Amino acid sequence: MPHFLMAQAVEKNTLVLGVKYYNDNNAAQHLVISAKSKIDGKFQKIGNISVKVFITNDSNKNNFIGAGITSERGEFILFIPPSAKTEWVKSATQNFIAISATSKLYEEARAETTITKAKIKIDTADGKIVHAKLFIKVDTSWQPMAGVEMVLAVKRLDGNLNISETATYTSDSAGAISGEFKRDSLPGDQKGNLILVANIIDNDVYGNIEAETIVPWGKPLVYTTNYNHRSLFARRGHSPIWLELLAYGIILLVWAVIIYLGFQIRNIIKLGLD
Amino acid sequence: MDKLKEDKIIADLLPQEFGKQGRIWVICLLFFAALGVFAYGRQLYYGLEVTAMRDYASWGIYISNFVFFVAISLVGSLITAVLRLTNVKWSTPLTRIAEIIAVSAITFASLIIIVDMGRPERFYNLFLHGRLQSPIIWDVIVITTYFFISLLLLYFPLLPDLKIMIGFKERNGKWLQKLYEFLGSFWKNTKAQFKITDKAINILAIAIIPVAFSIHTVTSWLFATTYSPGWDSTNFGAYFISGAFLVGAGGVVVAMYIFRTHYKLEKYITNDHFDRMGKVLVLLALLYLYFNFNEFLVPAFKMKKSEEEHLLGLFTGEFAPIFWFAIFTSMFIPIFILLFKKGRRPLPAFIAGILVVVGSWFKRFLIVTPTLLHPFLPMHDVPANYHHYIPTWEEWAIAGGSLAGALLVITFFARIFPIIPIHETIIETESLENEKHF
Repeated sequence: MPHFLMAQAVEKNTLVLGVKYYNDNNAAQHLVISAKSKIDGKFQKIGNISVKVFITNDSNKNNFIGAGITSERGEFILFIPPSAKTEWVKSATQNFIAISATSKLYEEARAETTITKAKIKIDTADGKIVHAKLFIKVDTSWQPMAGVEMVLAVKRLDGNLNISETATYTSDSAGAISGEFKRDSLPGDQKGNLILVANIIDNDVYGNIEAETIVPWGKPLVYTTNYNHRSLFARRGHSPIWLELLAYGIILLVWAVIIYLGFQIRNIIKLGLD
Repeated sequence: MDKLKEDKIIADLLPQEFGKQGRIWVICLLFFAALGVFAYGRQLYYGLEVTAMRDYASWGIYISNFVFFVAISLVGSLITAVLRLTNVKWSTPLTRIAEIIAVSAITFASLIIIVDMGRPERFYNLFLHGRLQSPIIWDVIVITTYFFISLLLLYFPLLPDLKIMIGFKERNGKWLQKLYEFLGSFWKNTKAQFKITDKAINILAIAIIPVAFSIHTVTSWLFATTYSPGWDSTNFGAYFISGAFLVGAGGVVVAMYIFRTHYKLEKYITNDHFDRMGKVLVLLALLYLYFNFNEFLVPAFKMKKSEEEHLLGLFTGEFAPIFWFAIFTSMFIPIFILLFKKGRRPLPAFIAGILVVVGSWFKRFLIVTPTLLHPFLPMHDVPANYHHYIPTWEEWAIAGGSLAGALLVITFFARIFPIIPIHETIIETESLENEKHF
């Protein structure tokens, strides 16, 4: 084969898939599938990658739980569907497999994650104390789990804020942690409600687990509006008093002169008729 | 002054019928005005889509024309008020020319704003629901006020002349006679009437100056209160007023030459008037040049990234040919012509006046549109033609039609009323003779 034809063979990049498990408030388990590839020496998120996701294994067609296409941010979310219940209840641990299709730029890629089912219970006590307990599934029952790093935080707009200076807590033999809420005067909603969260982040065994509860420990948000205030930027009829006085004063003055001159014309006419 | 001389002045200055040239001139203006009306009809029917104005260049040659009209209208206050209050006598023959330019320009400034509106039938909402905080409302108020003051300033000095014209019943014809009688049959040349008019004119001369300054300062604020490259300037009010006086004075010089040549008014609009107006033009052009230096040199020295594209577009880019054309024709070349005594003779001064007016029109375009095409936030996902503004034929026809309309108002005014005040000319000639006698 001539050399120039050989050179035309395109070398495909290696695609790296990722699968992360999330359990939010023990209700909505979902997976986040991500795709990245090394371009110009740096990992970059890859969009528009079609990925199929399986539970337990991919050898059985019935284990297919969904598919998606990665966004510009190189990921998509897949909620575990009710159809996966049969596989889900079989074991305390669970396997998820993501497989991307071959494309012009990338060969088929595959990622797999295994998690042990876990859940967190969150509660509060007087004195603004936050308690959380971690349970993991052992066979068919939930057992407390010790030695796992957890976070106690309060939800804010752009992320979670730890409830105190302590960044993480390690669960004791009862699977419990507790911390004191020290964020006084934190703005809450109109009733002063805050959302407390206890979570495990990117744990190799349990994935991402989170539980929430609402407490009235924040400062009530008093909604203020300047809609009715007079300002240069307000709506019609709400201009500043100084502007109204100035503007109407000038208008009255100048138009008084014009009207006065109108009367002068009348006087000239009267003089002419006399 | 003897009766013969007085009769000669009256005969010279009475309005004359259109000759052949006059008729051709009026037909041409009517043609352009009709073309403008036709184009506006299309715009009303099809909407603003027939223009080249889009999301970014939403102000095009209509608003440039508006700013131009407002600017040129300021000459009424310069010639009539400023020169009158400073006791400058030589400007008397020019006052009515300046005032009619002011009235016609301000009328068409108002009309062109309505033309720029996509839904002109909603114009009344400006008065019903306007916000006092908005410079647009201030502009509506001052333009209306300035129009009435200019009209009064045109009317009061006209009263004694109306009395003179009423005396030429046969010459006037039926309709003109009726008009003159309606406007001034009550004028009897009594001392008391003169006392009232003199007082009224003085009041108007004082009142018109702040109103005239307001009208163009407020027009400049339409731009300066908007945060955009090229408009974000504290210099804008003074910059606009100096430019307005320049274009207004240029317009008066052009009108002076045309009236003098066409109506054979060499004895009344003399070489001395051109010489003096030439000097006024040089002064105003230098003043405007000074403000231009301030307006462009200071931002260009800093060359802020956000303004760079706009400034380079003017100096060396897409708008450079128009920019340098406007700078040279409205300032450098007229200054060069009028600095020399020979350049202040009627014809060269007329040419300089034309250059000032034409250059100033393009200068207004440069103030309005390039800024809109260079917003602070980059333009994304817009059709390619949104990046440029090339007016459509409808826009040119409407803008041209409005200019023709303004010229028609001046032309018909000169046909109906004396373009040089007859009574004031008689009084001044009389007082000059008395001075010589003593």
